[in-house]
Amino acid sequence: MMDLLLQQACNGLVIGSTYAVVALGFALAFSVLRVVHFAHPDIFMIGMFSGLVAANYWPALGLVTAILTGAAGAAAMGYFAERTIIGPLRGRDMLTTLIGTLGLSIVLQNGMALIVGPDPVAYPALIPAKFFDIGPVMLTLRQIVNLGLSVVLLGLVSLFVRFTKTGRATRAIAERPDVAAAFGVDVARICQITILFASGLAGVAAVSVGSLYGSASAFVGLLYGLKAFTCMLVAGNRHIEGVVAVAIGLGIVEALVTGYVSSSMKDAAAFVVLIGVLYVRPNGMFGSYAAT
Amino acid sequence: MTALLRIDDLALSYGAVPAVDGVSLEIEPGELRVILGANGAGKTTIIKAILGLKRPHRGTLRYNGEYDLASLKPHQIHGLGIAWVPEGRQLWHTMSVFDNIRMGAFESKDHAAVARRIDEMFARFPRLRERREQLAGSLSGGEQQMVAIARALVSGPRLLLMDEPSLGLAPLVVRDVFALTREINAMGIAILMVEQNARQALRVADAAYLLETGHIVDQGPAKEIAGRDSVKAVFLGGAA
Repeated sequence: MMDLLLQQACNGLVIGSTYAVVALGFALAFSVLRVVHFAHPDIFMIGMFSGLVAANYWPALGLVTAILTGAAGAAAMGYFAERTIIGPLRGRDMLTTLIGTLGLSIVLQNGMALIVGPDPVAYPALIPAKFFDIGPVMLTLRQIVNLGLSVVLLGLVSLFVRFTKTGRATRAIAERPDVAAAFGVDVARICQITILFASGLAGVAAVSVGSLYGSASAFVGLLYGLKAFTCMLVAGNRHIEGVVAVAIGLGIVEALVTGYVSSSMKDAAAFVVLIGVLYVRPNGMFGSYAAT
Repeated sequence: MTALLRIDDLALSYGAVPAVDGVSLEIEPGELRVILGANGAGKTTIIKAILGLKRPHRGTLRYNGEYDLASLKPHQIHGLGIAWVPEGRQLWHTMSVFDNIRMGAFESKDHAAVARRIDEMFARFPRLRERREQLAGSLSGGEQQMVAIARALVSGPRLLLMDEPSLGLAPLVVRDVFALTREINAMGIAILMVEQNARQALRVADAAYLLETGHIVDQGPAKEIAGRDSVKAVFLGGAA
């Protein structure tokens, strides 16, 4: 009985950690740029397919090359989104940019579906299929790599935000954008860097997730996007670390629902949680800055 | 002498609502001038226009005789030597006192000068040095005002824009704040202050402007303005 709980908790931790990386990118875009970047999960998808292309054409170069290519592909698409949509619409109503990025999201999803078809495609086996027994729990090598990679990425973001000059600038912009600008922060440039960074992260996470599930789909961004967005709403935008905690919590809740109820209910879990939390704490679990 | 800052016929609206309509003013290097006005007169709007945070639809803002502020971005305007003590302090509450002050010179390349100025700030405000790692949001109003002023001074500005520095502060603290502005001005830094506290502001200022619903209705040397009925009219909303 305990074994099932532990097993599912571990599974949930792995899935939750990848939600966390995507959600963190979302949260960075939202808190720094004040935009709901609907195309972010599809930039994740572009990263996934960039890695797939690298792995299929240069299989000998392995996981690291695939990851770097994934990061590069996602970052390039993120840069494109910032230059063509988000940047030019800066200062306008949040809804305007939301619709703009939503449009890009639709183009990316359907564009990719035209290329690879609407159904999932096989992802190259970049990580060998090995199993490890750790006490009562069984984890695959793919799960362990995923978790490790997520921890590294989350650590990188934390270091960036706390200890680098650009990272401090993102926090300053998130809390008081006018004051930041008036004290010398080039807001436009920092926004570009933030999008590049968040996109690159998503790309790395995408290749990792592709290897975990062994498949990639043009529409993978849909569900990941909704869940990551949910995590952001539940956590509130005051403390960016909150998003990580919520995402991991969500992964665990989903895994427990899969284990104890049924796997077809797991996607609903996210939204039940969202409704529940927002009912009790409308500003998110960890609070939000006043909306401007 | 070229005016440090010269504003001509500034007009700015929030949507259809005019906030400032035909304001002209200037300030020479090293002067302390004050814009007096009640709530809603348009004082903060003028400050935001100077900082590049709001774009006017009419008028020019000329800095040092050569820079057109309306065509520059806020971070560039900061680089020219214009610093801001915002209304209500507007510190970054989730950052420490030290980080708040350090952010005041974010893009400065001269790290040695910035470090020296930070030390000077802590020497001038020992209470802040004690609290340097504390979150800015946990400080008292008067302490926050000191942080806001230190943040503005750390970039070595030539012009300081102070928006209602006495607002919300206890009377003893208000007295200290105005004494501080005199001290800063004595260092050669020009100060353009907007205030509702006419009595204290006019004691420290060289010259004053009276702003009423977006128009300058009177101006002159501070001593003259202090005696005029128009001052009472602006603050009591009618002939005294």
